[in-house]
Amino acid sequence: MSSIKSSYSIPTECKHLQNYKLKHGLKGYNLIRDSVKIDSFGKSVIDKSKLQVPRCSFCSGCQGRLFLCLICSSMSCSLSPESNHTLLHSQSFSGHEIYVELEMAELYCMVCSDQVYDPDFDKAVVSKQAVGLGLSRRNEDGELRLSKRKRLNFGLDLELKSIKRFISLRDQYSKSCIPLGLRGLNNLGNTCFMNSVLQALLHAPPLRNYFLSDRHNRAMCRKRSSDRRLCLPCDVDVIFSAVFSGDRTPYSPAQFLYSWWQHSENLANYEQHDAHEFFISMLDRIHETEGKAGHVIRDNGDCPCIIHRAFSGLLRSDVTCTSCGFTSSTYDPCVDISLDLDTSTSGRDPGKLSKLNESIGTSTLVGCLDLFTRPEKLGSCQKLYCENCQEKQDSLKQLSIKKLPVVLCLHIKRFAHSPVKKLSRKIDAHLEFPFSLDMKPYLSSSIVRRRLGNRMFAFQDDDIDINTEFEVFAVVTHSGMLESGHYVTYLRLQNQWFKCDDAWITKVNEEVVRASQCYLVYYVQKVLYHKGSEDVSCQPLSSHADAFVPIAGCC
Amino acid sequence: MSTSNDDNLSSHSQLSYQVFGELLDSIIVDVASESHRIARLGLDRNLDAAEEELRLSLQARGSAADPSSSSETTSKYVVDIFGQTHPPVANEIFDCMNCGRSIMAGRFAPHLEKCMGKGRKARLKATRSSTAAQNRHSRGSPGSAYSPYPNPNSTNRLSNGSLHVTGDDYSNGTLE
Repeated sequence: MSSIKSSYSIPTECKHLQNYKLKHGLKGYNLIRDSVKIDSFGKSVIDKSKLQVPRCSFCSGCQGRLFLCLICSSMSCSLSPESNHTLLHSQSFSGHEIYVELEMAELYCMVCSDQVYDPDFDKAVVSKQAVGLGLSRRNEDGELRLSKRKRLNFGLDLELKSIKRFISLRDQYSKSCIPLGLRGLNNLGNTCFMNSVLQALLHAPPLRNYFLSDRHNRAMCRKRSSDRRLCLPCDVDVIFSAVFSGDRTPYSPAQFLYSWWQHSENLANYEQHDAHEFFISMLDRIHETEGKAGHVIRDNGDCPCIIHRAFSGLLRSDVTCTSCGFTSSTYDPCVDISLDLDTSTSGRDPGKLSKLNESIGTSTLVGCLDLFTRPEKLGSCQKLYCENCQEKQDSLKQLSIKKLPVVLCLHIKRFAHSPVKKLSRKIDAHLEFPFSLDMKPYLSSSIVRRRLGNRMFAFQDDDIDINTEFEVFAVVTHSGMLESGHYVTYLRLQNQWFKCDDAWITKVNEEVVRASQCYLVYYVQKVLYHKGSEDVSCQPLSSHADAFVPIAGCC
Repeated sequence: MSTSNDDNLSSHSQLSYQVFGELLDSIIVDVASESHRIARLGLDRNLDAAEEELRLSLQARGSAADPSSSSETTSKYVVDIFGQTHPPVANEIFDCMNCGRSIMAGRFAPHLEKCMGKGRKARLKATRSSTAAQNRHSRGSPGSAYSPYPNPNSTNRLSNGSLHVTGDDYSNGTLE
């Protein structure tokens, strides 16, 4: 049996629990299993009989916490330390030490006076709740899943190999200096939205490696497309070459603009545009070209183009019936995640602060992610059909991330639309974002586990050894109003921050970046991110373009 | 108030107090039990790192509010890291790939807009001289290299049915 590096650690059993299990095995748990009910929030409770209120066998009271003895099934209450009938029970009957608390469906050891945990118990509790979720049948699925995972991680392995070779080349030129690939971009007239996104993409490791390794060869591309259609990836390739050439005078991405305008009808004009809109449009265009050129899009939808290898993730949406707990899941691919701002923490109304931000009165990116993955009760006008109940029921909806992308772009929706006034306004509130982000709590496995009460059980989609740690490498910030403003990108190279304001590249403190108003935050998986002392992208002594020898065998 | 009312009130308030107490206890147990489980299973390992980031962020905002450390403000006249300065409007000159004229970088987008016939102003401009353009078009003059409107007779943009062709602006170039 393969060992799973769990996201939780199994606490050691107290000796009383051990003794109980040695003596009684799983009998008690199995009896409990049938009494587990799910309330409308998805929480498990023990409810032996819907017709009777559970009462204490000593006092017939039903107040306070009620405990069910796992050996003799007698019920007792625990109102206060002075009036603890459960303790009385445990003292009266020797060996009756382990109980189940009804409201939380948790094990309790009367001798240790503490809540205790047992994976077998959790499995019993969850077995009813997880109808439709598919608990692990690891034996036969294990192998299948492993091979699929190998294939999905294939792209990541390639990136790792190529970056390692880059490093060894770079080390030869190691010298403390301004990082390569830093070059201003001229504003061609309201094009800061384009410049800001370009700067970020120029430094997205998979994209950078792809283009700098000449994986999109312009000469071959020209030969291939006989009808002289404009190829946006070729124009992107030109920008990469120009920006990494060593020439430091600002570059004008005019050809790219021309090319892009020919592909995008609605965005092609001398007006300010939204950087996120441009980002998506650009990804679409590159995918269209790269996806076609000789690549076959496989049946399961895994597009092998560089855009999808870099940005593509998978979102999972669970809809749970609040009556029976049956859950149906759907999956949707995505290239970025748009997050609503946690506006309740604007700091102006301390009464409404969420628990994360109470002490500071600020919104955090993590708070936005929590909001994104929070279970949402669908209104009674949105009842969905439950297969299990065979009728429409009130439901809970919850989003989570099934597969993390290599490059994670988080888009902060900084606009609020007022349906009354029929206008949108920009939300200028500061958003705290971490430089190191662990996405583990937002994975489907974590979210589902949390929804089921953080029970210990082998979940079918438990991802073994998955990379969940990310490092920020670019932040696109916006200042100004909804209709008119200015975009600036902050780039993190060699653990130093650089401000890219169109043609002006300046060095800034990390504090400036933290205090800025982020709009698009770009993270990359930590394994692909290289900090500080490695001097990986230094300008060699000869600024000859040959510094970028295409790395042979980079697959 | 009669005494019986008082009794009713006090027993009502007693009852509601009791109910409230039970609800409150229930919520406390809920949170306590959940937190206990999270702590025991080690699900809150990232808390320290997250708090550190938050602290740094607060610190940053504090010093950013300090006017002496503002680097966000107009950096258009500043020297960049390579020791260069640049004018507010980019003055690199290159040839437009649509019409071939020499254009200054900072004015390239507005030029290209008219050059390619995109944008509102370009379309409106076309209608003023639409009759002249119509004649020219029927004589088979070279249209622009890129025409967004495949059918010169299409009236999908303007309700009065006038023609809009790119020919006019294209041959005249931009108006600055």
